[in-house]
Formats: sequence, structure tokens, C-alpha cells
Amino acid sequence: MSRANPSSLPAKPARNWSLWIGVIGFLLAMTIWSAHGIGFSLADLVCNIARGSRLLEESWPPDFGFIPRLYEPFMETIFIAIIGTVVGGLLAIPVAILAARNLTLGPLIWFADRNFMNILRTLPDLFWAMLFASAVGFGPVAGALALSVFTIAVISKLWSESLEAIDMGLPEAIRAAGGTWREMIQFGAMPQGLPHYVSYALYAFELNVRASMVLGLVGAGGIGMILKTQQANFEYERVTMIILAVLIAVLIIEEISEAIRRRLT
Amino acid sequence: MDDKVTRTRAGAIRFDKAGIVYPNGVVGMKNLDLEIRPGEFVVIVGSSGAGKSTLLRAINGLNALTSGSIEVDGEPMPKGEGRGLRELRKRVGMIFQDFRLVKRMSVMSNVLIGRLGHVPGWRSLLNLWPVRDREIAIKALERVGIADKAWTKASDLSGGQQQRVGIARALAQEPAIILADEPVASLDPVTTHQVMKDLVRINRELGITTLVNLHFLDLAREYGDRIIGLRFGELVYDGSAETVTDQDFEDIYGREVNEDDVLDEDAVQG
Repeated sequence: MSRANPSSLPAKPARNWSLWIGVIGFLLAMTIWSAHGIGFSLADLVCNIARGSRLLEESWPPDFGFIPRLYEPFMETIFIAIIGTVVGGLLAIPVAILAARNLTLGPLIWFADRNFMNILRTLPDLFWAMLFASAVGFGPVAGALALSVFTIAVISKLWSESLEAIDMGLPEAIRAAGGTWREMIQFGAMPQGLPHYVSYALYAFELNVRASMVLGLVGAGGIGMILKTQQANFEYERVTMIILAVLIAVLIIEEISEAIRRRLT
Repeated sequence: MDDKVTRTRAGAIRFDKAGIVYPNGVVGMKNLDLEIRPGEFVVIVGSSGAGKSTLLRAINGLNALTSGSIEVDGEPMPKGEGRGLRELRKRVGMIFQDFRLVKRMSVMSNVLIGRLGHVPGWRSLLNLWPVRDREIAIKALERVGIADKAWTKASDLSGGQQQRVGIARALAQEPAIILADEPVASLDPVTTHQVMKDLVRINRELGITTLVNLHFLDLAREYGDRIIGLRFGELVYDGSAETVTDQDFEDIYGREVNEDDVLDEDAVQG
């Protein structure tokens, strides 16, 4: 076997072992420190694992007879997710465009929009759910509003970043032809940005289906509310049924949106 | 209407001590005095970085001057992005090396982009183009000989056809001036000559002032009426394409001219 002529290649740079050891050591130290901080103990876990298995035994088999009563809250969850995705998805369009450095209308607008986005993203969806619940009362409307905000946060962050990476040749050509800012966006940026937008909107919908169940726990309607009641009544076989139904629904939705996204690219 | 026709026929450009220094300190244009008469076909040559693109992009305000002034048909360059600049750009079509078409849209939709400056905003927003503007777009396509491709997706065309769509889009603006920034640099030799011939023919037929950046010297000689040479942002040559010599080109490039500088290698004179 012939080997590369040693003289044709410059000497291979030495691997930086000390960096690797440093990084791994740092991660290890952080993990141990954190485990200590939350009082995690392997011995406790092993001794108490039996208690966990008792809960699992009580939860099996799932109560299939409960399915008919799941239908209505289940559809409510889906409706909440759809409204949240559509409303939030539409509002995210201007938010994302103005937050993209290459498309925004000016440094001040960019800065304001960027900070607005950060605030939306920093506050958790549970906070929005409780805020809207106190405004419009507990129920699915509060959930849909909370998810709209959550959707703006998700889509605008992801999309503004992919908009910043588009080729600016076409937008410039629109400008050069006498187009306005809006026409530059519509004819120059959107043809490149739209596939990403659809992809992120589908992703947001998946997140919203999951989130709308969590929001139900704080009274924002949907299947989460049923889950909470059944758990409070120690009806663990029904809880299992709910979780199973949710799992299947999420898997189906992911499959569908994955199939659509594949077709986009 | 008469007024509009005369404006379409005009297309005079005047640089007066114009200069561009980029924010990073690079000099793109230096103390440029240049007058281009309506209907001229001007080829701009120079090595890369000599300021050819800078010169073209100054005429439609894509690059702003940092000193001196430019006038198009006697009107000074409007300041800032706004209605004034859009009115100017309406009258200046631009053709790019990389075509810059909306690939997923039809040829027709791409050519209609040239009408953006002429229709109210709500029409472009809803893609409701007036019949008159559609007819102008079709005529532009006929002029470059690809009207039969009107409903083809731009991405399904060959490079030469895509550049023709680019030319048609510029023509749809009914411009007084066409700026072509290295229009043939991504094309093969045969297509290159076809596109150059198209540009010359349109210049003759419609009297549109045409400025073309080229880096192949034989093309400059063959198709230019007037040749302008740039070096480090400065005007170093301005003369007829018929009398330009290899020595002139060497002065413009600041080096020997070789077969890399021509499209057809036989064109290098011993």
C-alpha cells in the first residue's frame, strides 16, 4: 500500500489533549456539583425503585373504556393548538422579518423588535396561560392565547435567523427595479424564506399540541384538565390511557408534519 | 404621453468629481468625471476590484457617493431610500451576472417584477397586474425571443434563457438606461455572444443608454461603441472601441494582457 508522500504534506498538527481533558473534566465537575446540589443519591434511588414500580403496576392495564370520554377534551386540545399556531404564526411574520438584520426597517425598529422577541421567549408558556386565565377566565380561550404568544416566540426566533441567511441578490434586484420595501420582502425575500416558515410553523404546531396538554394542568382547558382530575382521584389506569392517547396523537402529527417538511426541501 | 416618450428616449448620465470610499476604507471610485450621452453603448473594463460594479451601482443609487455628484437626465441623485430614488430606479434597468430571478416563479411573473415601480402597491401585493402591464411584459419577452417560455418556471431554463428573462425584466421597466453588471460571466461562449448581441440590438432598436461591465477584452472590442477603462476606481481610459489598442488594455490592467483576458483565445494579437 502506498502511503502519502510525507514531504508533500505539512506536519499534522498535534491534537490538543489538554483541551479535551479540560472540557470533559469541567462537564464532569458541573454534573457532580449539580447532583449534590439537588440532593441526588444513587443509593436512595435503588432502595425506592420498588415504590415506582408499584405505581406502574397500579397504572396497568390502561382503561380503554375511558376512551369515549376522552374525545371531547382531546379535540379541545387540538383546537387550542390549531388556533395558537395560526394566530401566533401570522403575528410572527412581521416580528421575524423586522428582527432579521438584513431585512429590517432600521436599527431602532430592529433593536425594539429583537428585545420584544426576547421577552416573549424568556417568559414561560405557563406564565402566559396564567396571565390570560386571569384576564379571560380559566378555559380553552386562555390556553389558545397563551399558545399564540408561545408560537410567536418560537417561529420568530427560528425564522428571523434563517431569514438572515438568505441570498440578498434577489432582494437587491427588486430594489434596483424600483420596488418598495414591502415588494422587496414579498418578491425578493419570501420566495427563499417561505419554505422555512412552513417548516417552523409545523414544528410550532407539534410543540403546541404537547404544550396545550401541560397548559390544561393549570386550567387552560383540553386534555390536561382531565389528566389532572383523574390523577387527583388516583385513577391511574385512566391516566395511563390519557398518556397513551396523547403519545399516539403526537406521533401521528409528527409523522404528518415530517412528511410535509420533507416535500418542502 | 409625449413627455413620457421623450423621457424614455433620454438617459444621459453625468459624474462630477464623484467618489466612493467604502466604510472599510476601500476606495471604489475616485474623482470621476464622466459624461454619457443618451443612447450610447458603453463597455466598462478593468481588473477585478477596479470599481466597475461600483460605477454601475452608483447610477441607480445602490452605492451612495461619498463625494461629488451624479446626475441622471440633469436630475441629482435623490438622498436615502424613498420615493425619489424609486422614481429614478424605475427608469434604470439592471442585469446581473447571477440573473437574480425568482426561481420558483414563472418567467412571466419574473418579468412583471420590472413593472413594480409602475403599478399601485395593492396590485403587486395581490398579484393583480393590469392588462397594459402584462402586454408590456409579453413584448419584453418577445424582444428577447423567449415569449414561448412565459409560463415556464424560471429554474427550468438554461443559463442563457435565464439571462434573457433578466433582460426582459429590465426592458419591462421601459427604462432610459440599462446597467449590465458582468451579464455574461456565468454563460458559455456561444450563449455569451447571443446575449451580447441581444444587448446591442436592444440598444440600437430602443435607444436605451446601455452600460456593460465586461472582463473579456475581445468582447469589449467587438460589442462596445465606447470603452471606459477603470483602475483602482479611477478613469484611466475613455475612447472608441474601434481604436483601442492592446497597449491601452495593458495600461488599464497595469499588466500584460494574456489569453485569460479574452473569451476566444485567437483574439490575442501577437
